[in-house]
Amino acid sequence: MFSQVINGTSCSAVMTSLGSSSSSTTEYVVRVPKNTSKKYNIMAFNAGDKVSCSTWTQARMERDMSNRRIYGEEETQEGAAGSEFGKKQREEARRKKYGIVTKEFKVEDQPWILKVNGKAGRRFKGLKKGGVTENASYYIFTQCADGAFEAFPVHSWYNFTPQAKHRTLTAEEAEEEWGRRNKVVNHFSIMLQRRLRGQERGEEDEEEGEKGGKKKKKGGRGGDLRIHDLEDDLEMSSDESDGSNGDDDEAKSKAKKDKGPKGKGKKKKKKGSDLEGFEDSDDGDFEGLEVDYMSDESSSEEEEPEKTKPNKGEDVPKGIDEMSDSEEESEEENKNEEDGKEEEEEEDGKKTPVQVEKKKKKDSSGESDSSEDSDIEGEAASALFMKKRTPPKRGGGRGSAGSSRTGSRPGTPSIDNAATSNTLRAAANKLEQGKRQTTVPSSETPAAKRLKMEPSPQSSSGNGTPQPASGKSTPSSSDVLLTEDAVRRYLIRKPMTTKDLLKKFQTKRTGLSSEQTVNVLAQILKRLNPERKNINDKMHFYLTE
Amino acid sequence: MSDKGEVDLTGAKQNTGVWLVKVPKYLAQQWAKATGRGEVGKLRICKNQGKAEVSFTLNEELTTIDTTGQKSSMVRAPREHPFTLQTVGGQTLAVFTENSSGQSDAEAGGSGTGTGPDKIALEGVVVQRAECRPAVSENYMRLKKLQIEELSKPLRFSQQLDKAVTTNYKPVANHTYNLDYEKRKKEEGKRARADKQQVLDMLFSAFEKHQYYNIKDLVDITKQPVIYLKEILRDIGIYNVKGTHKNTWELKPEYRHYQNEEKSD
Repeated sequence: MFSQVINGTSCSAVMTSLGSSSSSTTEYVVRVPKNTSKKYNIMAFNAGDKVSCSTWTQARMERDMSNRRIYGEEETQEGAAGSEFGKKQREEARRKKYGIVTKEFKVEDQPWILKVNGKAGRRFKGLKKGGVTENASYYIFTQCADGAFEAFPVHSWYNFTPQAKHRTLTAEEAEEEWGRRNKVVNHFSIMLQRRLRGQERGEEDEEEGEKGGKKKKKGGRGGDLRIHDLEDDLEMSSDESDGSNGDDDEAKSKAKKDKGPKGKGKKKKKKGSDLEGFEDSDDGDFEGLEVDYMSDESSSEEEEPEKTKPNKGEDVPKGIDEMSDSEEESEEENKNEEDGKEEEEEEDGKKTPVQVEKKKKKDSSGESDSSEDSDIEGEAASALFMKKRTPPKRGGGRGSAGSSRTGSRPGTPSIDNAATSNTLRAAANKLEQGKRQTTVPSSETPAAKRLKMEPSPQSSSGNGTPQPASGKSTPSSSDVLLTEDAVRRYLIRKPMTTKDLLKKFQTKRTGLSSEQTVNVLAQILKRLNPERKNINDKMHFYLTE
Repeated sequence: MSDKGEVDLTGAKQNTGVWLVKVPKYLAQQWAKATGRGEVGKLRICKNQGKAEVSFTLNEELTTIDTTGQKSSMVRAPREHPFTLQTVGGQTLAVFTENSSGQSDAEAGGSGTGTGPDKIALEGVVVQRAECRPAVSENYMRLKKLQIEELSKPLRFSQQLDKAVTTNYKPVANHTYNLDYEKRKKEEGKRARADKQQVLDMLFSAFEKHQYYNIKDLVDITKQPVIYLKEILRDIGIYNVKGTHKNTWELKPEYRHYQNEEKSD
C-alpha cells in the first residue's frame, strides 16, 4: 500500500489505488485539536424509544437542579425567633464527630432535562453514566471540510429516558393495586377513579382540563362499567383513601380547600389507622348513610365532601346529600369545640395545618383510639394542634374537648372520661345528675361532688330541727342519717349510752367523720334533753313518749 | 445569542454523522502530547469488496512514552492500530457539546461551570462505533508489562527506616499553647459583675439576634460570672429542658418581641 502524505496546511487526503483487488484506500490525517473549550458529551437514547433527532424542530435542555435542596444546607431562618446561637457551628461539629459525610452538590453531575418540540413535545431526562472515562477514552471522529478527521474526547455520557406525561400511580397506590391484581378485571377504571378523586378535591382548571379530556375518552368505559361489581366497590373504596394520600400532596400545595384537605386528611388518618390496626374502623362514619353500590365509592371518599363541588356528573351517588349532611354536622361540632379554644376565623386556616399535622404524625390515630365518632378524632386532632404538638394525655385532651363543647351533641359518650373517677360516690353522683355537661375539668368534678356530699348531711340535719316532720332529708347515697328523729327513736325504745348511740350511727353508713358524728350527736342530745339513768355505772339516756 | 437552554440543532438537521471510537488510555495520553495543530497520526480506510478496514497509524514523534522509572527509552507505543468496527445497534447516540469558556460568540460561548450562559449544540449523530486496538507487537507487550508492573504496586507499602523518628513530639515543660492560654486568662482576670442594667441590655440585644442561647455562650457574650448571670436570667428568661432546643435559655414570652408581639421590657 502506498500512500503519499502531504503535511502542512493543504489537503491531506490522497487517493491511491491498488492493483488487482477492487479496493481503495484513502488516508486521512487525524487531528486532535488543542483548543478544548467545547466539551463533547454523548446523548444516548434507548432503542425502543424510537428517537430521531432529525424530527426535532426545537429543543431546550437544562440541568435538573431539584437535588440541590437535599445536598445543600437547608437554611432555617436566620436570626430572631427559632434560632440558636452558634447552631451552625454546632451542627457542623456534630456531623464531623459522627463522621457524617454529605456529598457535595456538583452541578456537573446533575441530570439534564431535555424538552423537545416545545410544550406538546416529549420530555427526556438524562442521567450521567459513571465510569466512562476511567479506563478507556472515547473519541468522536468528525470529518472536516478538508477531509481530515478531528478527534474530540468525550467528556461524559448521559443516558436519556423519556418521561411519561400521562398520570401514573404513586407508590402507595401502586402497591394497593398490586395487592388486588388478581381481582381487578377492568384496569381502565383504576385511573378513572383516581382522576375522579382528584376532581372532587381540587378545583384546578388544568387538572380538570386534563381529566376532562381524558375522561371523555374513558368516560364511556367508566359509564359502561357501572355494573357495581364487588370488586369495583372494593377497589374504589380503598382506592380513594390511598389515592387521596397521593393526591393530597398536590391538593395541599395547590388549593388550600379547607374542607377537602381536611376530609382527606381525616380519611388518611383513618386509613392509616386501619392499616396499623390501632383503632377499629370508625363505623360511626358510615352509619346512617344510605348508599347504593355506586355511591359506595364516593361515600368512603366523600366522608366530608366539599360543599363547593357537589356535582360530579354521572358518578355522583345519591348518598351525597347524606354525606353533605354528615359533613355539616361533624363540621359544626368541630367548629363548636374549636370555638372554645381559638378564634373561629382561623378555623379554615387551621384545618389545613390540622391535616398537615395528621399527615405528618400518624400517631394521631393512635391518640384517638377507642373513640367511636369521627368528631372525637377531630377533637383529638385539634386538641393536638392546639397544644402545639405536645402529645396531650388522652384523658386530658378529651376532657378539655368535652368541656368546651356547648351541647351540640348531648349524647356524646365522652363522659366516659369522667366515668373513670375513682370513688363510687362520685360515680353515683354522676349517674344521678345525668348527662349534664361539665364545665370544670373532669378530674375536679369527683372531688367537687365529694365535697358537696359532706356538708349536705349536716345541713340537712340542721334543717331537720325546725321541721321535725321532715327531719329525714333526702338521702343521697347513705343508709342511715344522723338525725334527731333517729336518735329519738332509739332512746324511746330503750336507754342507751352515748357509746351505743355512736355505734348506731357508724361513720361508714352516715358518711360523716367520727368527730362530726360526735358533734352532731351532742347537739341532738342537747335538744332532746333525754332523761338520764345510771345502769351498771354507765350513764344511759332514755326518753319516754 | 440564544438564551440559556436552547439547543442548537444544526448538527441534527444536517444529520452529521460521526464516529464514536474507543481509544486505549495510553494512546489518549500520547495524543494529549501532540504539538502544533494537533496532528497525531493517519487514518487509513481500506474498502475491500464491501468490507472496510480502518487503521490508524500513530505519528513517529508521539511514540515515546514518558515513564517514571528506568525503562523510559526502551518502551515505545505501537504505531499501528487497526480499528474494530461495530454497529450502533438500535440505540440512537447523539453528540452534544457544551461550551465552557464564558464568551458569548457562536463558537465558544457559555460555561459548563456556570460562570456564563451555556451554549448547548447538537453536533451530530453517531453512525459508527469503533474500537481502536493496538497491533500486537513486541513494543506493545513491553508497554503492557510496564503498565502492569506499575499498577501492581500497592498504594501503601512499608518501609524500614534507618533512624527512629524523633521530630514529632518532644517532651516539653509546658506547651506553648498552654502558656498562651494561661497568659490570656491572667489578663482577663476574673469576671466582674457589671451593673445589672447593663447586663440586661446586653442580654436583650443578644436575644434580639437569636432566640435560644446556651449558658456558656451567654457567659461569653456578657463576660459575667455564671452565678450572677443565672440570677439575672432567672428573672427575664426561661430554661428549656426538653424539646428541640434543650438546655438553652430564652426570654420569657412577655419580654420577647419577635414578629408580632409587642411587649418588651
